[in-house]
Amino acid sequence: MTDTPAAHPTDPFAPEALNAAEGLHPVDPAYAKVLRIATALNLIPLAIGASVFDALLIRHIEGPYGLITALAWLIAIVTIVSFPSRRVSRWGYKIGDGQLRVARGWLFRTDTIVPFVRVQHIDVGQGPIERWFGLSHLIVHTSGTHNSTVTLPGLPSDLAAAMRETIRRHIQTDFA
Amino acid sequence: MTDAAALAAPEDETRWQRLHPATLALAIVALGPKSLNFLPAVAALGFTGNWLWIVPAVGAFLLISLLAAWFQWLRFRFLVGDDEVVIESGVFARQHRTIPFDRIQDVGIEQGLVARAFGIAKVGFETGAGGKENDASLNAIALDAAQALRTTIRAHRSGEAAAAVAAGAPDTAVPAPDDRLLFVMRPGRLLTAGLFNFSLAALAVVGAAMQFFDGLLPFDFNIFNPMDWIDIAESYGLDQWLLAHRWVAGIGAALSLLLIGFASGVAMMVFANWDFRLTREPRALRRTRGLTTRTDVAVPVKRVQAAILITGWFRRCFGWHELRLQSLASDGEKERDHQVVPFGKLAEIDPVLDEIAIARPGAEAAWQHSHRIVALGGLIGAVCAATGGLVAVSFGQPLGWLGPVAGLLIGAGSLFGARFHRWTDLGEQVAIRRGIWKPKTTLLPHASVQSIDLKSDFILRPLGLATLVFGVPGGSSLASHEIPAIPAATAQALRARILAARARR
Repeated sequence: MTDTPAAHPTDPFAPEALNAAEGLHPVDPAYAKVLRIATALNLIPLAIGASVFDALLIRHIEGPYGLITALAWLIAIVTIVSFPSRRVSRWGYKIGDGQLRVARGWLFRTDTIVPFVRVQHIDVGQGPIERWFGLSHLIVHTSGTHNSTVTLPGLPSDLAAAMRETIRRHIQTDFA
Repeated sequence: MTDAAALAAPEDETRWQRLHPATLALAIVALGPKSLNFLPAVAALGFTGNWLWIVPAVGAFLLISLLAAWFQWLRFRFLVGDDEVVIESGVFARQHRTIPFDRIQDVGIEQGLVARAFGIAKVGFETGAGGKENDASLNAIALDAAQALRTTIRAHRSGEAAAAVAAGAPDTAVPAPDDRLLFVMRPGRLLTAGLFNFSLAALAVVGAAMQFFDGLLPFDFNIFNPMDWIDIAESYGLDQWLLAHRWVAGIGAALSLLLIGFASGVAMMVFANWDFRLTREPRALRRTRGLTTRTDVAVPVKRVQAAILITGWFRRCFGWHELRLQSLASDGEKERDHQVVPFGKLAEIDPVLDEIAIARPGAEAAWQHSHRIVALGGLIGAVCAATGGLVAVSFGQPLGWLGPVAGLLIGAGSLFGARFHRWTDLGEQVAIRRGIWKPKTTLLPHASVQSIDLKSDFILRPLGLATLVFGVPGGSSLASHEIPAIPAATAQALRARILAARARR
């Protein structure tokens, strides 16, 4: 938990600088692979659909055959290769001082703080792809209507469990 | 086996109660709208020429519905125990629900028109569980029984509270029932409020209905289609008269619109808020109101999360305001907050705010403004409208000039409105004010904030700005509590201050 911000001004668009400047910890880099597989599972069927559409319809009406197919696969591959690691590098979290802080996004950056005493209950979840890489996500529920759930993905499973225990202990001591 | 034994303890058998038999009457009334579903079947019978079957079919439908209602009534029973309410329901699939008194936040009593004729009421238990289906209700019990039930539950809860404070203050063994009247709406006030409640919504409803039934009406005339009016005017030679006296006709139309607007405003206000009474009870604010449907709602004071003070640009000149409270429990299906003062002066609202320990910012409060950038969304809309209009003009459509005009108006409005996003920190609570058409001040105690988002994006960040969004229990997700576009350092400091506050208990 080193809170010292970077002494020299670095490129503000560098992801490491973003988290370090705000004193946040990055999530596990393996989460990029999880995101990549999830994105691929979403986009590849779409690209296949576009190819089929292209082959069946555009060729039928003698339009520019191949354009849609090429475009769909290009977009899909660029998205799958480059976006997940960028997105992962913009997630950051910090746990301590009786509060959980989760930050995400760059174009639209949201930095959420939930005090432990406001936590209603905690989930640690793990999807099939996450299980593959030994990762879990932590979901914190509050009673607020806005932000009723705050999700922090890309945590090693043992760390997620440890964070859950930390928060749970705080809830108990508050009500004791 | 042990479950069954526990459920049917011998001394409980006698204490099980059924709903009031008038439930069946309510079911008959409810059949009215329901039998509309039956219309297609009747029509089908008619079309196929089986006229003889219509009466038996309708009879069978009524009989089956009544039998179903009767079985449901027969299989529904409830028990008010020492510290819990037990409800058993269901004809085939039985449901057994236990609600401890401790978990009941709020007991609401509601009486529709038919229910009032029978002297019965619907009792709703608000447990604070998420979702409407999780809240239990007793559809029809006698009004005095409903009030007794509420008194029982409330006494249980205040007894508990008294026991908790007994160590500190032994003299208050039983809190005295000091029910003070905080606010009433007398007929004169209702009339004033209704006049300010000018609304052409009724006209829009009739118009929409005419649109909808256009194809079904037996006559070929839609009162909201101007062409129909022109046709009828021409056929009577009225067009000549109208052209000659167009000023008279215009003034007449405007006057009748005004009359409709005022009349519907007064009617809506009278129906909703007839005999409005807000009383302070030991633990809650209690509100009764309504002309046909009377509702009786208690808002526990400790559950109040925020207060919202609403006015209008015109009624503000006369000092009229509306006060709503945001609480953990919601107010019926439509509204997510409780209207506790529909129409009153600030001098009448302040005592109510005192009861819930929320203060209105005084005249000396240092309001801070949001950055003008909040007008950006409106400006983009204005540019889009103007561009679209100009494109239409370039295609030779003269109506396109409306686009740039509308764009100018929207742009000016959003630029002007941006100056009215203001906020101030009062130490214990934040006050957020916004809007010119309908100024709205949210008074948000620090202690009811559950989580805080600090948001910035590619537009706010270069300007060194950030938006604060507060997570507050209750209320709708649409009307979020946020302070848009304030300096990032200020936002961070405010966030740290608010998070330091203790939970509101």
